[in-house]
Amino acid sequence: MKLLVALLLAAAPLAAQSPHARLEGRVPAAAMAGIDSLIEQAAAESLPTEPLLQKALEGGAKGIPVDRLVNGVRHGLVQLRDARAIVSRATPTRVALDGDLAAVAAALARGLDPRLVERLLAAAPPPGEPPGPVLHAAADLVAHGFPADSAAALLRTAQQEGLRGPRLLDVAVAASHELQREGGRTPAQALARVRAMMPNVPVATPPHPRAVTRRAGPGS
Amino acid sequence: MTVLDPRLQEALDGERDPASLPDGLREAYTRLTGVAELLREPPAVSVADRVMAQIRREASVPVVSPAGAARRLARWFARPRAVTLRLRPAWTLALAAALAAVVLVPFREGVTPGAEEGIAQFVGHFPGARSVEVVGSFNDWRRGALALRDEDNDGIWHGAVVLPAGQHEYMFVVDGERWVADPLAGRYVDDGFGAGRQNALLIVRP
Repeated sequence: MKLLVALLLAAAPLAAQSPHARLEGRVPAAAMAGIDSLIEQAAAESLPTEPLLQKALEGGAKGIPVDRLVNGVRHGLVQLRDARAIVSRATPTRVALDGDLAAVAAALARGLDPRLVERLLAAAPPPGEPPGPVLHAAADLVAHGFPADSAAALLRTAQQEGLRGPRLLDVAVAASHELQREGGRTPAQALARVRAMMPNVPVATPPHPRAVTRRAGPGS
Repeated sequence: MTVLDPRLQEALDGERDPASLPDGLREAYTRLTGVAELLREPPAVSVADRVMAQIRREASVPVVSPAGAARRLARWFARPRAVTLRLRPAWTLALAAALAAVVLVPFREGVTPGAEEGIAQFVGHFPGARSVEVVGSFNDWRRGALALRDEDNDGIWHGAVVLPAGQHEYMFVVDGERWVADPLAGRYVDDGFGAGRQNALLIVRP
């Protein structure tokens, strides 16, 4: 109980910090006005502001020059707009959550074709299912050389087999392992092997908790 | 009850010369008078003196038996003692603050992730590096928040941390100045700053 109270007391000021306050001292002063403006635009359009704030903090930490830093944040805002447009087209009746938009923006940043993203989102996702895992699984498959259409079809089969969330990432991992097996397999052979083992694709094992530290959160 | 020979009784009473007794009675006379002499003499050392001498002897003999030492130790701990406690307020407050810190600060090792958290493990091969840290969206891209370790100096730096489930972008910072995308990440994303640089992408599973 005491621990909970202490954590709440410590977390409250951090949560209450405005984006501007979080950026002060972390990005060049010359970039502040441009970044503030972009974050305000995102808020006015009901887009998530946290990804833009993170992009600005990243640029500041990396020492990116001011013009490129502001451009990077602007690029993030454009991706969020694109993401919302895709989500709106794919699932018009569903309210897009901030996390959904961030996941779609990340998939676009990973190079996933917007049409494929839209198709994956529209392919009857279970209600309440976050789109991140299926999009990242698709991006993983494409990054390993699988054709985009084949990747989307495999993931659709996996969903029909009842695989959800992170288990879709296991499907992509299994496909890449099959592709790399000794003797060599074509992408089509690898996908056929994974399709045959569904829904029992191997599960990734997490590291042992004994070696784990708790993250140092914002402001630490 | 044994009845004394009247002649022996007379000799003991001094009414007869012991030399006139027959041999058997004379021998009995000699034993009885010897015992009487012993009873007449006071003891050389009193009972109290002997008891105290025994106590002193035991006290001076070093204890060699572990069982005896354990008993003595147990008695020492069990015996009530008067203690005088003198407090300095400053030291008392410092002690209280230290105890509060121990109670309130969570252990950083061996934690278990919550329902919406997962474990992220970082490994990098950086031979000769003096330091390697992980900087990313999970710690506001703040330096110094998550340092990797290389206890055996084999150039393999590692660390694991509990993070919220979902996607996180990150980079390794080697020796405090060199930014490196995790070569083992498997997932990468353009960092958007126009130089074609990529961040490693981490997907934490709950």
